[in-house]
Amino acid sequence: MTRLPLLSLLAVSLCAYAAAAQSTDPAKPAPGNPAGSPSDTRETVPGVPAPGQANVPDRAFLRAAALGGRAEVQFGKLAETKAASEAVQNFARRMIHDHSAANDRLSSLGAHVNVALPPDQLDPDHKAIRARLDSESGANFDKEYVNTQIADHQATAQLFEYEIGSGQDAQLKAFASDELPVIFEHLQMARALSATLAAETMASASRSPN
Amino acid sequence: MRSHSPAVSCLFGFLVCAVGAFAASLPPDGSYRPLPAAPFDEVKGDDEAQKPQVMQRQRHLLEERYDLSDRAVPNVLMSGGRKTVQGGVRVKLPSGVTWDSLAKLSPDEIRERGVLPEGFFPLPHVKQATGGQVFPNEEIDEIQRQEQRNLRRFDVDFDLPDHFTPEFPAPIFLTTHPELGDVSRGQLVTIKNFYELFVGILTPVQLEGMRLLLTPFPQEEFNQTEDRKSADQSLGVTCLDCHANFHTNGAFHQTPDVRPQAARFRLDTVSLRGLFNQQIHGSKRSLRSVEDFSQFEQRTAYFNGDQMSAQRKGVHLPNRFDQVPMMAQMQNIIDFPPAPKLDPTGHLDPMKATPQELAGEQLFMGKGRCSSCHVPETAFMDNNMHDLQLERFYRIGQTRNGLVILPDGPIKTLTLRGIKDSPPYLHDGRLLTLADTVEFFNLVLGLKLSQPEKENLVAYLLTL
Repeated sequence: MTRLPLLSLLAVSLCAYAAAAQSTDPAKPAPGNPAGSPSDTRETVPGVPAPGQANVPDRAFLRAAALGGRAEVQFGKLAETKAASEAVQNFARRMIHDHSAANDRLSSLGAHVNVALPPDQLDPDHKAIRARLDSESGANFDKEYVNTQIADHQATAQLFEYEIGSGQDAQLKAFASDELPVIFEHLQMARALSATLAAETMASASRSPN
Repeated sequence: MRSHSPAVSCLFGFLVCAVGAFAASLPPDGSYRPLPAAPFDEVKGDDEAQKPQVMQRQRHLLEERYDLSDRAVPNVLMSGGRKTVQGGVRVKLPSGVTWDSLAKLSPDEIRERGVLPEGFFPLPHVKQATGGQVFPNEEIDEIQRQEQRNLRRFDVDFDLPDHFTPEFPAPIFLTTHPELGDVSRGQLVTIKNFYELFVGILTPVQLEGMRLLLTPFPQEEFNQTEDRKSADQSLGVTCLDCHANFHTNGAFHQTPDVRPQAARFRLDTVSLRGLFNQQIHGSKRSLRSVEDFSQFEQRTAYFNGDQMSAQRKGVHLPNRFDQVPMMAQMQNIIDFPPAPKLDPTGHLDPMKATPQELAGEQLFMGKGRCSSCHVPETAFMDNNMHDLQLERFYRIGQTRNGLVILPDGPIKTLTLRGIKDSPPYLHDGRLLTLADTVEFFNLVLGLKLSQPEKENLVAYLLTL
């Protein structure tokens, strides 16, 4: 008998969760194509994957987003001290700030879907970028950093869109939806910076005696 | 994470450096259609269970954006005389602004304050993650009745109320027989009835073209594999299942030209009327002939621009030297509906038009800047693609019911001849009435039209 209230409480909260997971609010993550969910997916109610039921795209996203996010912070810290231009330093500080916050949220989501995030080190592609950044200095460093930021944010935007369309876990999809406008903002900032740096290079070339 | 030997990692790093590539290449299903990860029955069960929620989400989105009530323009019917034309501005305003106050703001101010009306944003597919062709119920029912072929999906239904879709079945006007008027006899033309309707009117080549356009072929959601959205193994879809009676029934799809899936914007079926004057085809593909269009739709409308998926589900490649030209010849004789108030150059006849319609025409040519793309002399098209840069007005990357809102980029200028017959408007159908389109362009082009001017423009558009 004493268990009944507890059980009913559990039932109520499960129903509440199911209702939340089945949100009819178009601003909330949309249901995925069930054809993309593995056959052994546990469901809260039919058609709604239980919390933490990540599919293959969710896992690919989580790994790539974690690797990319950490690289952003690391490159940002490098650029904050090494960049010649103040605008580039400011951009780097913004990257450290925004990506640190996003990385924290992603770590907790990794635990939620029970997927181990990759070890905290650069993957080969970002290692290669790091090597190039280490070998440059002054205005050339600024240019290299900003150009790699453009390419990295382009790839990241596609990655986040991929998760929104192909992912299954509502929390991961919500994370991707929340962050995507910020990623585009970063991309626009980097593109503007790149144009400014190019204009400065032109101006200084025309000032030089040769 | 898979581990690599140090030597392999070094080599990989070098190669990456050498070709300048970056991390984070997406998995193949970023571009290609993935194989289903679960058996058909499980997917169907889940889809059916989700369906009420899916439809409710889209209904909420539509209700947030639009006034969906049934309010027809008095005394105006579509060309077949069977359906009224919806009137009034249906896009809802955000709180605290009016259409006039909004028009006074710059694009930057509208973006920063987040006051672009929701109805001006791209319209999502009813289920973005799955996408695919969705037919209105009238089409589904009539194809079932005539052909016993199933176009109903178990995962989604058509989303817009019937009063915002084109007349069904639409009338058919032929350039080869202007004297006959509508030759549809009020029927939906199908593989079952086309011969008796058109023998003696069409040439053998045109008849064969029509037969091909009415023959079902496998399609991404309608086929015999486990990756389908019809309950039974489907016979497929025909070209005219969407371009019903060579017009449009409002069926929608997603652009085949964009990836990944979340970024694919909705496409409202375009009418085939006046195709003979059209130099480019496809909202974004800019195909240069009706032949290219007829051929390539097997790759795009049918299979989302994924030739690999087509190969698995049943590829149909119409013969370019014989069949495709016949399909093209048939489409090339589909005329616009009559516009009795227009003279042969596409201008209003002052003897027939009302003062309000004439005032609307003046605006169309002048202050409204409509005719800079919709040129009356060339069937209200310019055979170009243009970028309206709507993203000036909103923050990109937001998500609406699974659709990531991105810039549309250049889109083909669509004809305005017979425009009252083909709601909803814009390439994705985001605008429900002609009054909505006037408000949209008033803002996008910074026209600052007065209320009477807007009404005059709508009155003019109804004469086309």
